[in-house]
Amino acid sequence: MGLRAWLVALAMEKPKQVFFGVIALVVLAGLQIPSIKVDTDPENMLPHDQVDRVFHDEVKKRFSLYDSIIVGVVNTQNPQGVYNPQTLQDLHKLSSAVQSMKGVIRQDLMSLDTVDNISQSSNQPGAIRFEWMMKSAPTTQAQADQIKASVENLPLLQNTLVSGDGKAAGIYIPIESKSESYRLSKEIQTVIDQLNVESPAADNEFYMAGLPVAEDTFGVEMFIQMAISAPLAGLMIFILMWVFFRSMLLITAPMLVAMAAVIITMGLLIGQGYTVHIMSSMIPIFLMPIAVVDSVHILSEFSDRYKPGDKPNAALKAVVGHLFTPMFYTSITSAVGFASLAFTPIPPVQIFGLHVAFGILLAFVLTVTLVPAYIVSLSPARLAALKDHSLSEQVHEDNTSLLSRLLAMTGRFSIAKSKTLVMMFVAVTLVSIYGLTTIQINDNPVRWFKEDHRLRIADRVMNEHFSGTYDAFLVLERTGLDEQKTEFLAYLRKQVNARENAQAVTDKLDSILRTLEGEDYSTLLQKLTYQLDDAAYEDSAHEAHWMALLDTVEQAQSSSKYFLTPSALGYLNDLQLFLDDSALVGKSNSLVTLLKTVYRELQGGDPAHYKLPDNRNAAAQTILSFQSSHRPDDLWHMVTPDFNATALWLQLKSGDNQEMSRVIKLVDDYVSEHPLPANVEMNWAGLTYINVVWQEQMVTGMLSSLTSAFFMVLVMMFVLFRSIKLGLLAMLPLTVTILFIYGLIGFVGKDYDMPIAVLSALTLGLSVDFAIHFLERCRTTYQESGSWPSTVTEMYKGPARAISRNAVVVAIGFTPLLFAPLVPYITVGFFLAMIMAVSAVVTVVLLPAVINGIKDKDKLFAMSEDDRLKSIQEKNNV
Amino acid sequence: MSKFIGIKSLLIVMAVSALNTVYATELTDANAIVSKANLVAYYAGNDGRSEARMLITDAQGREQKRQFTILRRDREEGGEQDFLVVFSRPSDVRNTVFLVAKKPGGDDDRWLYLPGLDLVKRISAGDKRTSFVGSHYFYEDVSGRSITEDSHQLLETSDKYYVIENKPLDPNSAEFSRYIAWINKASFLPEKIEYQDENDKVYRRVEVLASEVIQGHETVTKSQVSDLRSGGITTLAFRFQHYDLGMDQAVFSERSLRKPPREWLQRDE
Repeated sequence: MGLRAWLVALAMEKPKQVFFGVIALVVLAGLQIPSIKVDTDPENMLPHDQVDRVFHDEVKKRFSLYDSIIVGVVNTQNPQGVYNPQTLQDLHKLSSAVQSMKGVIRQDLMSLDTVDNISQSSNQPGAIRFEWMMKSAPTTQAQADQIKASVENLPLLQNTLVSGDGKAAGIYIPIESKSESYRLSKEIQTVIDQLNVESPAADNEFYMAGLPVAEDTFGVEMFIQMAISAPLAGLMIFILMWVFFRSMLLITAPMLVAMAAVIITMGLLIGQGYTVHIMSSMIPIFLMPIAVVDSVHILSEFSDRYKPGDKPNAALKAVVGHLFTPMFYTSITSAVGFASLAFTPIPPVQIFGLHVAFGILLAFVLTVTLVPAYIVSLSPARLAALKDHSLSEQVHEDNTSLLSRLLAMTGRFSIAKSKTLVMMFVAVTLVSIYGLTTIQINDNPVRWFKEDHRLRIADRVMNEHFSGTYDAFLVLERTGLDEQKTEFLAYLRKQVNARENAQAVTDKLDSILRTLEGEDYSTLLQKLTYQLDDAAYEDSAHEAHWMALLDTVEQAQSSSKYFLTPSALGYLNDLQLFLDDSALVGKSNSLVTLLKTVYRELQGGDPAHYKLPDNRNAAAQTILSFQSSHRPDDLWHMVTPDFNATALWLQLKSGDNQEMSRVIKLVDDYVSEHPLPANVEMNWAGLTYINVVWQEQMVTGMLSSLTSAFFMVLVMMFVLFRSIKLGLLAMLPLTVTILFIYGLIGFVGKDYDMPIAVLSALTLGLSVDFAIHFLERCRTTYQESGSWPSTVTEMYKGPARAISRNAVVVAIGFTPLLFAPLVPYITVGFFLAMIMAVSAVVTVVLLPAVINGIKDKDKLFAMSEDDRLKSIQEKNNV
Repeated sequence: MSKFIGIKSLLIVMAVSALNTVYATELTDANAIVSKANLVAYYAGNDGRSEARMLITDAQGREQKRQFTILRRDREEGGEQDFLVVFSRPSDVRNTVFLVAKKPGGDDDRWLYLPGLDLVKRISAGDKRTSFVGSHYFYEDVSGRSITEDSHQLLETSDKYYVIENKPLDPNSAEFSRYIAWINKASFLPEKIEYQDENDKVYRRVEVLASEVIQGHETVTKSQVSDLRSGGITTLAFRFQHYDLGMDQAVFSERSLRKPPREWLQRDE
C-alpha cells in the first residue's frame, strides 16, 4: 500500500507541514461557519421538485393559503368562558396589535374582530345583515352574549374561531414566511405579557400553536442545543479518556483529531451553501466519539511498544503499519453506513450521511498523519512521561479487574454453552422480528419538543378545546378543460357558419380568437364575452350575429363553472358530511359550508334552510350575496375564481402522521365506494399531509439505504477476510443488533420517526467495527496458537476488553444527547448508546459461540498445513 | 320627450359653465370644496343611467367580470337619491338587482333580488363599507359616502388640485383612520383618494383613470380601486351614460326588483 507508506512517512518526516496543513484547513473551514443557515422546515425533507410538494405549493398559491400562527385565548375560570367583556377586550387588543406587525398577511387574519357576522337583522325583520362580528370590543356581558349567539350560528366560525365549549378563542395569523414565525411569536408574546400586566384578574391564558412556530422555534433551540451538546460531548470524551489514561499528553492528540474533523466537516457543509438541518446539527456529536477511537488505538499500541530513549519513529511505523488495515476498514465501513443515507430520497438526510462519511474518512486520515506527527514532535522527556502512563498496565496487566474477570467468565461460558447460546440468540432474533412487525411508523414535528415544553402544552390545550390546529386540504379539481375548450371552439365556429352573410363575422371572430389563443378555457370565455359585446356595439350591422354568439359563449361560461353545479356540490357535501361524522376529523370547512350558511340566512335564518341552493344560478347568486360582505376574498380560499377547483379544509386534532394516514385511508375508502364524478381529480395538500409524504419516502428510502449498505459492507468483509464464512460471521453481530434494536422499538411502542430511521444505517456502520476487530484478532491468534480453546482464552483478555472499552467510549460520548431539551436528540443518544452496548455484547458472546459450532476451524481461519506445523514446532520449543 | 331633454341639458351646460367662471377663484373652505365635489361626483343631472363593466383582478392576475346597468334618480340635490343596479353578466347572475334608497346622515334602505332563488331580500344597513359584489369597490364608493361623516381639512392647494384630508367623526365607523382626496380644481372631480390605516400607511387607493364631459357634466368613464394589501385591483368602466332622462320615482320601487324597468335599461340609440 503506497498510500500508507507515504502518509506515515509524511507525518513523521514533516510534522510541521502536517500541523500547518491541518491548521490551514481548520481555519479555512472555521471561516465558513459564521455563515451558518439553520433550516428546520420539514417541507425541505422533500426535494423542491417533489410532486406532492410542488402540488402543495401550487395549492397554497391558488387558494391564497399561508402558513399560520394560531394564538389561543383560553378562559376556564369565567362561567361565560371567553365570552366576557374583559377577555374579548384583550382578544381585540391582541388582534389589533398583531395586525400591525410586519410579516403578517393582515387582510387574511382571522379573529373575532376581523370576520363578518352574517345574520338576520334584529331591528328590521326579514332583512339580512352583514356586519363586523366585533368591530369594537364589548363593554357589557349582554354584548358579549350577542357575539356568542352570532358565532354559534355560523358553522364556518364555530369551533374554528371559538371552541365549541366557549372556553377558547383563536386568532389565525397568516404569515409571509415560516422563517418569520419565531420572531413574530416573540413579538406576540410581548403583547400578551403586556395584557397580563394590564388585566391580571382576567383569568386569560394565552397559547401559541401551529406547525410554523414549532418548526421555527425548533430551529432556534437546535442552535442552542448544538452550542451545548457538542462541547459537552467533547468534555465527556475528555473525562472518559482521563479516567482511562490519566495523561493530558495522551488525550491531547485524539482531542485534536476530533476537533479538526468536526470543524473541517461542518465548514465544508456550510461552505458549500447547505443549510444545517436537524440531522446535520448532530454531525459534531456523531463525529467526535468515532474520531477519537482510532487515535486511542494508535496511542495504546505505541505506548506498549515504545522504549524510552529510542527514537519514536520505528515503533510508530510498526504501530501504524499494523493498525492501518483494520482502522481503514472500520472507517470505510462506518463511512459506507452513513454514506448509504444518500440513497434515501430526503435531501437533508443525504447531506447528513455524506458529510458524516466524509468526516469519518477525514478522521482516519488525520489519525494516521496528525497523531504520528504529534508523537514525533514530542520531546524525549515527554515521550518518557507518556511511557509512565503506559497503557500496558491498563490494557494488558489488569487481568484481575472486574471487567477482565467478567470477560474471562463470559468466554468460558460462551464456549461451554455455545449451543444454548446460539439457540437463545435465534429465539431473541425471532422475537425481535415479531417486534419489528409491530413497529408504529409515525412522526410529528410538535413532538420533537419535550412534553413540558410550552409549545407542547399549547398544542395539547388548544386541541383539547378546538377542532384541531393541524391543517390538511383535500383538493377536488375538474380536469379535461383543454378538451372542452377545443370542443367549444369548434362548436362556436359551427354556430357562425350556420347563419347567413356570416363571412365578415367569421373573419372578425377568427381575429378575436387568434388574440386569445394561449388562454385557458375559463379565461378565454371570460375575455370572449367582453370582446363579443364590443363587437356587437362596433359592428351594429351584424349585431344579431354577435349577440347570438355572445349567448353561446355565456352559456358555455356558465356551465364551465363546475363547482357551482348541484351534482358537484352534492358530491362535496356528502363527502364533507361523511368526514364530519368521523372521529378522525375535528372539523371541515368548504365552499359547501359557506353556501349553506349564506343560503340559510337569505332564506330567513331557519336551520331547516341550511342546505345547498338547488340550481347553478341560485348557487352563483348566493355567492354574489356573500361577496357583499367585508371579507369577500375568503371565498377564494375555498374555490378558484373559475370554479374548477375547490379545497376542503380539514382541521385535525393531532399532527401525528399516523392520524393523517388514517384520514387519507378514510377518504380513499369513501371514494372507492362513492366514485368521484367523471373528470374530477382529488389530491391532498397541507403541511400535515406533506409530513406523511416525506415519512413514507423515509421508510422506503431507509430500506434501500440499509440494504445497499448491508451488501456493500458484506462485500468489503469478503475482501478484508478473503473468506465467505468469516465475511458472513462479521455481519452476524450487526444483523442481530439491528433486529434486536428495532424489535425493541416495536415492543416498547416508540414511534419509528426520522431519528429512529436514520439510526439503522448508523448501527450497521458502527457495530461492524467490533466484529472486524474481533475476527481479525481471532484469526491471527488462532494462526499463532493453532488451538481454539487457547484462542478463546486469549481473545477474552485483550481484544474483548478493547471492544468493551471502545463501546463504552462511544456510548458515553453520546450521552450528552440524553440531556437535550429536544426529543430527537435524546432518541438518537439513547439508541446509539444502546446499539453500542448490544453490538459489543453480541460480538463478544455470540461470535465465539457460533465459531465453536463450526467444525473445521483450520479452514475457517485459513490455517495452512505449514502454519500448523510451525505452531506445533513453536509449542514444542516452548 | 327627447327634445325636452335636449333643451334641458343645454341649459345645464350653460349653467355649469357659468358656475365654473364664478368659482374660478380658489376656494379655501374645505367643507365647500367637499360638498361641491360630492355634487359633481354623485349628483350630476336629476337622474342618469350608465352601463358598467367591472374587471376584478386578484394579486395573481386572475380575473372576474361583472356587467351591470345603474339607474339613478336624485330626490334632492346633494340629499336623498335612489339607485337601481341590474346585473347582466355573468349570465348566472343576470337580473340580480340591487335597489338602494340613499339617505345621507341616516341608514340607507337596501333591497336585493336574486332571480335564481326568486327571492327579494332586504339588506339591513350595517355599515356601507362592505365589498360591492366581490370587487375592491365598497358600496359607499358606488353610492357616495356622506360628507357629514367625516371632518375635512384643506391640506394643500396645488395648480391642479385641492388636497383634502378627511377623518371619520366616529373612528369606529370605518376601517381607515383618514383619507386624502385630490379634487380637481377645475372640474371638482375627486381624481384620487388614498386611504390610510392607523399607522398612516396607505393601503387603498381609488383613482379616476378617464373622464369626459357628458351633457355638460364632467363624468367619470373609467376608475380603479387598488387594494394595496392584497395587490388586487378592480377597474370600472362606464359606457352609454345619459343624464336627465326623466325617470320617475316608480322606477325605484320594490316592484322593479322582480320586474326591472326595460324602458330605462335598454340603450336608446
